Amino acid sequence: MTVLDDLLLFTALASVAIIALRRFASISKFSVVVYALATVLLIKMSALGYGGEPVYSSFTVNVLGQILQWRFDALSWFFALITLVSALLAAFFMSGAWGEKYCKEHSKEAYGLLQVALILNVLSMLVLLASGDLLSLFIGWELVSWASFMMMALNPDKLARKAAIKYIVYAMAGAMAFLMAIAMTYNMTGSLDYVQVMQGMAHLSNSQIALLVSLYVMGFGIKMGVIPFHLWQAAAYAETPGAGAVFMGAISARMGLYALLVVIVQIIGLTRVAAIEIPYTFLDMQNVLAWVGALTTIIPTYIALKQNDARHLLAWHGVGQGGYMLLGVMISDSIGTAGGIMHVFNHATYQAALFMTVTAVIYRTGTSNFSKLGGLVTQMPLTFMVMVVSIIGLAGIPPMNGFVSKWLIYRALLLDGQPLLFVAAVIGTLGTILSVYKLVHNTFLGQLRLEHQEVREAPLSMLIPMLGLAIIIFATGVMPGVVLDWVAAAQIAVGIAPVEHNLGGIELVQGGLDMIWVTGIMFYGFAVGAIIFYVLGGKSKHIHQYDNYAGGHFLTSKVRYHYSNHFYAGLMHMIGGWYRNVFIKLEHALVSLVSFMSQFSENFYRSSQPVMLVAVVVVLALYFVLGSSGGAEVSAGVSLGGFNQ
Amino acid sequence: MNSTSEFVTSEFVTGNVSLADVLPQMILMPLIAFVSGLLMILMYRKIAARLQRRVGPPFFQPVYDIVKLYGKKTQISHGLIHDIGIVVAVGGYVAAVILLPIPGMDGIADKGGIITLSYVLMVPSLGLALGVGQCANPNGSIGISRALTAMLAYDIPFIIVVFGVATHYQSTSLVGMINYQQTHQWGIFEMPLLAAAGLFTLQGMMGKHPFEIYVAPAEIATGPMVEMSGKYMGGLFVMQSFQFYVASVLYASLFLGGGSNWFEFLLKIFFVVEIPIFISFLFPRYRTEDMVRIMWKWPVMIALIGIAFVM
Amino acid sequence: MDNIVLLVVLPLLAAFLMPVVARSSEVLARTLGLSVLFISIAIILNVWNQSGQIDSQAVSIAIGGFLPPLGINFYVDQISLFFALAVPVMVLLFWPWNRSTSIREYSLMMLLTASASGLILSGDLFNIYVFYELLAIASYSLVAIQGRAAAVAASFRYLLMGSVGSVMMLLGIAIIYTQTGTLNLAHLSLLAPEKLNNILGLGSFALILTGMGVKAELFPVNSWVPEVYGSVSSNLAALMAGLLSKLAVIVIVRLLILLFPQPEALQLMAVLGIMGVITGELVAWRAKDFVRMLSFSSIGQLGLVFLAFSIPGEMGMMAGIAIVLHHMVVKPALFMLATGWRGSLENLSGVARRSPFAVLLFIVLILSLLGIPPLPGFWAKYLLMVGLSSQDGSIYTLGMFIVPVAMIIEIAYLFRLVMIMYRKEGDEAAVNNPDIKVAPQSHSKWGLAIAASVAAMLIAIVLQLQPASDKLVSLASQLSDRNQYISTVFPQIHTVRMQSIK
Repeated sequence: MTVLDDLLLFTALASVAIIALRRFASISKFSVVVYALATVLLIKMSALGYGGEPVYSSFTVNVLGQILQWRFDALSWFFALITLVSALLAAFFMSGAWGEKYCKEHSKEAYGLLQVALILNVLSMLVLLASGDLLSLFIGWELVSWASFMMMALNPDKLARKAAIKYIVYAMAGAMAFLMAIAMTYNMTGSLDYVQVMQGMAHLSNSQIALLVSLYVMGFGIKMGVIPFHLWQAAAYAETPGAGAVFMGAISARMGLYALLVVIVQIIGLTRVAAIEIPYTFLDMQNVLAWVGALTTIIPTYIALKQNDARHLLAWHGVGQGGYMLLGVMISDSIGTAGGIMHVFNHATYQAALFMTVTAVIYRTGTSNFSKLGGLVTQMPLTFMVMVVSIIGLAGIPPMNGFVSKWLIYRALLLDGQPLLFVAAVIGTLGTILSVYKLVHNTFLGQLRLEHQEVREAPLSMLIPMLGLAIIIFATGVMPGVVLDWVAAAQIAVGIAPVEHNLGGIELVQGGLDMIWVTGIMFYGFAVGAIIFYVLGGKSKHIHQYDNYAGGHFLTSKVRYHYSNHFYAGLMHMIGGWYRNVFIKLEHALVSLVSFMSQFSENFYRSSQPVMLVAVVVVLALYFVLGSSGGAEVSAGVSLGGFNQ
Repeated sequence: MNSTSEFVTSEFVTGNVSLADVLPQMILMPLIAFVSGLLMILMYRKIAARLQRRVGPPFFQPVYDIVKLYGKKTQISHGLIHDIGIVVAVGGYVAAVILLPIPGMDGIADKGGIITLSYVLMVPSLGLALGVGQCANPNGSIGISRALTAMLAYDIPFIIVVFGVATHYQSTSLVGMINYQQTHQWGIFEMPLLAAAGLFTLQGMMGKHPFEIYVAPAEIATGPMVEMSGKYMGGLFVMQSFQFYVASVLYASLFLGGGSNWFEFLLKIFFVVEIPIFISFLFPRYRTEDMVRIMWKWPVMIALIGIAFVM
Repeated sequence: MDNIVLLVVLPLLAAFLMPVVARSSEVLARTLGLSVLFISIAIILNVWNQSGQIDSQAVSIAIGGFLPPLGINFYVDQISLFFALAVPVMVLLFWPWNRSTSIREYSLMMLLTASASGLILSGDLFNIYVFYELLAIASYSLVAIQGRAAAVAASFRYLLMGSVGSVMMLLGIAIIYTQTGTLNLAHLSLLAPEKLNNILGLGSFALILTGMGVKAELFPVNSWVPEVYGSVSSNLAALMAGLLSKLAVIVIVRLLILLFPQPEALQLMAVLGIMGVITGELVAWRAKDFVRMLSFSSIGQLGLVFLAFSIPGEMGMMAGIAIVLHHMVVKPALFMLATGWRGSLENLSGVARRSPFAVLLFIVLILSLLGIPPLPGFWAKYLLMVGLSSQDGSIYTLGMFIVPVAMIIEIAYLFRLVMIMYRKEGDEAAVNNPDIKVAPQSHSKWGLAIAASVAAMLIAIVLQLQPASDKLVSLASQLSDRNQYISTVFPQIHTVRMQSIK
């Protein structure tokens, strides 16, 4: 029994236990303990994070001439760490007051199912991450898809159900592309084992590689929600019940990136991808994928800017941030991939924290609709603080961790000489800044609504994971070296030169980054600012929020002035016309096409002349038969075969 | 790839920065920036006055203004975030200043580089935005949404320019870029198009005419400043002086070879500020969306063509 | 071993005796039918136990001591024995117990049993035709006997298609006979490479394919399916969709392997298979009625079967058998679930609250049907995809793209239904919908038990993947082994022939 066996077996047994115990009140605490223990088991493998040898599972299955095996390497370990810690925090988050309220609003059974969905998600993700060949990767892939579906389908609302259905159809499309690619890989290389496939890939032609890469990327891209498959994700994640959304938003879609790293980067190799020229353009396949990443950062981010619901806004950003990861990985040098992989960690931390804050707001106020919120900072200051820390991370502004990974990606793009991609990435970041300010302003700033006067700070059970994440976001922002150690090990695992780093960041001859210094200077600056403000200035008087200048009008408590509707009016005036819902229309067109073809086929089954039909079919079949053998042979065949008996 | 890359690499050697070296710079650099910024504000007002055939304010007017604002009796706070917003707005610029090398002082420029600087420059805007948000005045919120839109407008051409320059020098280190320019040729001669686009952007970054509708005096009641009184306004005044300074030093470092000595340096940065000031009074204010339109059209186009030349 | 013949004889006898016995004692007549089924099962299990070597070596049984090619024979190998076992077992499972059925229906069921067993065991082309006709007549009558007007109409249509199909099949057999002068399969197989490898052979295959295709739900001649399944009882629909269609498929495949080595024959099957998959799934997408949805999904699955068997080589054979076996157990289970869920899909709104267990079973079954790993359906689909991608022909490439598209459509309509089932109470869609006329009834315990045991079986296979996959390999190799067939039936001829080749 290896440690990996222990981990997988433990999680599987824990799943069974949680399914069995789901109706008990103590399930919350039990699941927290489960995730904590699983994390401990994972930490026992922490040598992997620093370049240790892969850990194999002693369990294998031999089916249809194919040996399924499972193993953990540095990349798996890195993703598994994020998964388990996200699950632990999400479980902690829902173990207290939130869970009680959920039980009351829905039912005990529903809460139990949420716990079940969470553990099944974790289990399936671990199985996916542990996969040691393409077939077990596919099995893990499907398990993850269905576990996610279960989580999404838990919300009985109409919107959520629609999103879940949409998700599962997209996921199936992805899985089918993946399955096609696997079948082709098997026939082209004669194996599905990673090592053998890797060797086999060397003998394939560019067009074969191009076909495989397109299918694989379609499969993985759908899970990641990259353009043009981005439509399913935001609604599906946003409508997942609060604590579930925390977990899903943090890690679920990143499984696509994991598979992409394994298959496209490790097995096929980016040099092969780069060797594929796209005809009639200057681009190669790697550029195309990088552009997919870049567009994924832009389009969903600007869709997020238009959202009027905090959960949807965050979920759309989740889609957009996935684009950075793809972009980073596709730059293919050590700095860019480090940025892409590190962004997975960073994104998980701030996205989980953001979903937690929004869930906390929903817990206290019952809504996440911007038009019904505002001014909560005085009521929920700690939640506000966590949100500010997280949005700084999300926007990629120093000193939070999101900045470091984005810096690496920008830096790699600079070194690589990719101006347009760089600009695209920055446009995405600027859109993010605008949009996260909208988020924090419309929930926490501005005027407090009358009905929220009595709102209190989020309960402790929700605050602890939130604050913990805020600390991680800040700490890994100041000392990115901690994460970069694991990232470098993961890079070695997928066959890329590891990024050279130190505790504070990157040391490069042509301009590096040392976050310890940058953060230090920033806080020094704030200290100077504070001195100027507090020491030099006189004492200020705190006044009521309604007591402000309104051009001669009196703002009374009956009239609420909170600017939240149509927030960036000026900008939207300018770019509003660019939102054309092209992809939604495309999706509708596809559905209409299926509907039309379906109607067409139905006519056939409605035909009321069955005999005629059979006759026609026979004639057609004979025609096919006659037509398929060559003309000369046909006549010979008939004359010879007919009557020589 | 550009032949200049080897030069930059060889000429810039990463130094080990120790706290003892940096500490005096950490005090001096913001001071220099503050004083130069005040002088720039004075120059701005003087030029404006002369163009309008007025005498203009006395030499110490900016100082008087600050003293007056900080000394005011009515200091209205709308809460902690309101205060912190001002602190961050000023503090962010203080940090940015230390990331900008000036003659004899590199600060911690080699620990960050141009990308970090660009992002640190967004911190004050975000701080101000948070502070204004807490004021609970819808007019302030409207103003800040305009200010952030304006930031989006000028940052995109700005980033393109930064990218072009960094690609040209194959480096993100400001110190390296300055060294290279001083030993070879100024950036403005090697990258005239980028320099032109940069100048355009500078106009937006300085937050002055004609791209200043969100803070324009005439719009004060519907801008971010609406709830700012006393030292809050004073803080923003300090911030503005830093804003002038940072924009001009950055431009000088990217295109005019920084400064090898103080005289040259000051001459350059005051000259850089002067150009936008002269231009600013020739045009009426742009509405926010018009600003977005013009910023995304001309400077972006020029900068992209400029990049095509340096690639 | 020789009592294999009883599998056909006993039910046939029972079928004719039952009405007679019923005149004196109805109870006795009913017991007669059941006991015959039990005896049949016992016989097969006995054979299986006695001759463990059937895995490696098939057996040919000459009827009445006349040796083939002059005499007629039964051919018993793993697959035919398996299906011969499946016939009485499934007839027993879907026996029309609980209605006060006329004795005629039982009699017809026995006829069905006899002819189905004969069809799968027969080693002679003409016998195959005879048993096929018997089977067809039994099933037309069983449909018509349901009594409802819709069932009679559907039966009539089914009859029309079926009889035209039979004529086509007879024509095909006639052509073969004129070409070769024999109807014994092994003998034909010996002669096929010389005499049937031409345009007439291909033509006869097309005719037989169309004829048997009526029963096998082959694409263009399957338009009877939705009406018939929709108007008969779930038990009969389960039997027809689960068992009878598969028998026809296996016979077609056997003929294909033994008689028609032409690649065009495979292509014809592939084309029709693809058409079946795509039209079946597309129409199911529009279906507003649970049984109709299942019927069209069944057409789609049979299309997959034909597509799989059209892939040359062992991979295609394995894929085909896997899909056949999988569909053979899953579809009847789904039809059993349909007993409680007849009528409009909107009827099922919120049904998960009333019968959570049935819905859970439904989900497990459709997950396997969709091919979600690690359920058995996935391995079938995996084999199909690997097989398709191993072929160069454009038709297989097309198939490789059509199958995923069909699966996506299938998941869309199946999970739309699941979502309807899980609708929460008081949903306006459920309340205001005018389609709702009858509330869904509860399932019979028997039907639920069948569905549950099928689901349990699927999960058991997942836990025993390794032996299951080994078994599949051996089934496929035996089914595709022409030489074994010939040498089993004609031990002496085969050796002679082998020697002459040497």
